[in-house]
Amino acid sequence: MTQKEVLDELKALIVERLKFDPSRAAEMTLETTLPRGVEGSLGLDSLDFIELSVAMEERFGIVIDEAESLADDFVSLDTLSRFVLSKVK
Amino acid sequence: MTRVVVSGLGVVSPYGAGVKTFWAGLSTGECAIRPLTIIDTEGFRSRIAAEVPADVIGGLGVSRRRSRADRLALAAAREALADADLSPRDRTDMALIVGAVGGGMLEGESWYWDEALQPGSSPKIGALRSILPTSHSEVIGWRLGLGGPRETVVMACASGAASIAFGADLIRSGATPLALAGGVDAITRICFMGFNALKLLDPEPCRPFDRGRRGMSIGEAAAFLVLEDAEHCRSRGGRALGQLLGAGVTTDAHHVTAPHPEGEGMIRAMREALAAAGRAPGDIGYVNAHGTGTPQNDRVEALAMARVFGEGRVLVSSTKSLVGHTMAAAGSVEAAATLLSLQHGLIPPTANLRDPDPDVPFDCVAQTARPVEVDAALSNSFGFGGQNVSLIFGR
Amino acid sequence: MMSGRRVVITGMGSVSAAGAGGMPAVAEALARRPATIAPVAAFALEGCTSRLAAEVDEARFMALLDPDSVRRLSRICRMTLAACRAAVKEAGLPGGARLGLVVGSEYGDFRSGAEFVDGFLRRGPAGLSPLTFPSTVMNSMAAVTGIAIDAKATSVTLNQATVAGDLAVARGVGLIADGRAEAVIAGGVDELFSHVYRNLARLGALSPMGGGAPEGCRPYAKDHNGPVLGEGATFVVLEEREAARARGADIHAEILGAAWGAIPVAPHSAPIRRRDARAIARRALDQAGVGAGALARCYGSGNGDPALDDWELRLLEADGMREPVSLASLFGQHAGLGALRVAAAALDARTGRAPSLVHGIARGGCRTALVIGRVA
Repeated sequence: MTQKEVLDELKALIVERLKFDPSRAAEMTLETTLPRGVEGSLGLDSLDFIELSVAMEERFGIVIDEAESLADDFVSLDTLSRFVLSKVK
Repeated sequence: MTRVVVSGLGVVSPYGAGVKTFWAGLSTGECAIRPLTIIDTEGFRSRIAAEVPADVIGGLGVSRRRSRADRLALAAAREALADADLSPRDRTDMALIVGAVGGGMLEGESWYWDEALQPGSSPKIGALRSILPTSHSEVIGWRLGLGGPRETVVMACASGAASIAFGADLIRSGATPLALAGGVDAITRICFMGFNALKLLDPEPCRPFDRGRRGMSIGEAAAFLVLEDAEHCRSRGGRALGQLLGAGVTTDAHHVTAPHPEGEGMIRAMREALAAAGRAPGDIGYVNAHGTGTPQNDRVEALAMARVFGEGRVLVSSTKSLVGHTMAAAGSVEAAATLLSLQHGLIPPTANLRDPDPDVPFDCVAQTARPVEVDAALSNSFGFGGQNVSLIFGR
Repeated sequence: MMSGRRVVITGMGSVSAAGAGGMPAVAEALARRPATIAPVAAFALEGCTSRLAAEVDEARFMALLDPDSVRRLSRICRMTLAACRAAVKEAGLPGGARLGLVVGSEYGDFRSGAEFVDGFLRRGPAGLSPLTFPSTVMNSMAAVTGIAIDAKATSVTLNQATVAGDLAVARGVGLIADGRAEAVIAGGVDELFSHVYRNLARLGALSPMGGGAPEGCRPYAKDHNGPVLGEGATFVVLEEREAARARGADIHAEILGAAWGAIPVAPHSAPIRRRDARAIARRALDQAGVGAGALARCYGSGNGDPALDDWELRLLEADGMREPVSLASLFGQHAGLGALRVAAAALDARTGRAPSLVHGIARGGCRTALVIGRVA
């Protein structure tokens, strides 16, 4: 998979599972930040991240170990898509 | 001011039926968390729970036609009333407050599963009549002849404790001299699947306050307390097992599942309970913690307890390590455990605690019960939605 | 059940088939009486013996909310939030450690429960949505609302058939009287959900109940043949009177008397001959210092369920009251209905009428009575 393909899948998951409006997805890019408390981010909290992890595991066929500290990977769609690519290999 | 005593107790737990069986399990530190049998757990990360054994359910003396949760509730309520030795006249004055979440959902799910496969097929539609949490108060109130106000509180994992706080409020307000208060929850697929999905369950029996703790274990139970105006109890020749000295009921208003990171609401609940009880933190010898075994709860609860009591200034243990997290029943099951520990001068242990978390600055009574005479003890219950209840019991 | 603390109403918020908003919206609905009961549009009902309901127009409550901040909230949570925010805004009430919340509901968020379970039935464990799970517990409406309005005192969710809204208000008064809160947002919420509707119809709980007369909501009428469901959320702002005065709140009415309890009968039954040994309604009247004959109006909970209507009429008659007024045909039966009756009584009080009684009785015997009048 390319990073662009992963990004598109992530955007679809964010709409489908995190209930964002589809019009928001069109605006999302690799630079889009995710966590609540970051200016201009999507404002995701811990519950959103759990949902997204579960969705990512299913969509990409990866395993996300919750014991891992994932804060850095969930900073932006760029870091997140790289994270997915590293797991898919 | 009106004093509220506990004059009756009834428990159905994963150990079996009855308060004696419950205390025997707690005092020997026996962990009742085992592989689940009543629902299919294939494909789930955690497949264990503290289930009430089938032969125990069968021996409760309640019709099989009733939902599992109704059976647990009715049996525990019956025991509490018998324990209090109340007259039929007393029962007609008695309020009933039930903490519940799952209701008859286990049976409702069976019907729903059948319907999903083949619509219109299932004969089990009758199960829908007792699916809601109100079912328990309807059944208990009717079968046991209770004529006072009735209420069903749904406050997630704090329901069982909240019911006790509200029962005491009713008595203090003079609305009634007697209240049967407690909670019940049977294992349901939705609860099991949900906590699995949130990754809050430990695949092994939970280890509250342990450095390596990984999550909760689910349980099921019912526990009811007879709360009574102390003067009323005395004049009818009843006997008091202990007193409910005070209760705090607060809300974090922070997040739907995660607690406030500094335990702000927990601290307020404990302090409100202390103020209501007219006690100082130093008067409390034991805290029966909410202690689910999730990394987050235990950390935040320990922080909150340290703020209220001071580090290491009170003994702490988690009943959930023994009988699992019994959901809506937890608050009342643990209230019962707290009362019994005061009565017997013995603090039940935290099972499975082998490597205490250094960030938890308390002696959590690892693995073996501790004989200690305590005058007053506090029980915490914290639920989804930031619902916090702290109850203080005295001898 | 009241201590020295007196309780007043300083705001209201409502989402119903008749409209959405604060006091002006409620007043308009009561004055204009729009036709709200119609064949259900939101879901299919082939083969179902009932077809009618009072449905809420989504756009109306979304207009009261910020779409971004409610993105993951279920529909019933959104309705609750919209009504509570409108109420709090109208009252100008700040949040904090002394603000409580009481939410009454009969069916809770069944929709989220079904959604959650359907995920598993379709795709096994991987199909479960962690985000949906918290909504499967009935206190989710209170949880999300409490966060939004910063209600940090006691927050209670009560499950009760028919009169959950009435009970919530009575309990809200109790929380203030007991000192657990200085102000409480109290009311009820239910939503229409296909599975619940269809199964209630199957169980014969909705008009026409298998009878000959046409399906419809005709409370207390001779040809009543069952309730018609509605949906929505209605909440009132209750405050300790002196605190309300101290902050300069606009006080609509006072709750002069509040009582609740149970008439011990078999579950789901409404036995017409069963009297209320505890005289719950009279207790509320005594607290208010008002005789039954001095009431401007009695709002009843009767909703067209024949046994329940008849039992209520008999009980009220025993207490010296006749011709109760029902709002069920305007809003449909749902937990918000009780709070709507409280709101209506508060509006009556504003116009200087004599006090009104808001009465509630449910199958299984839960009985509530609130006397609402001008603040003394």
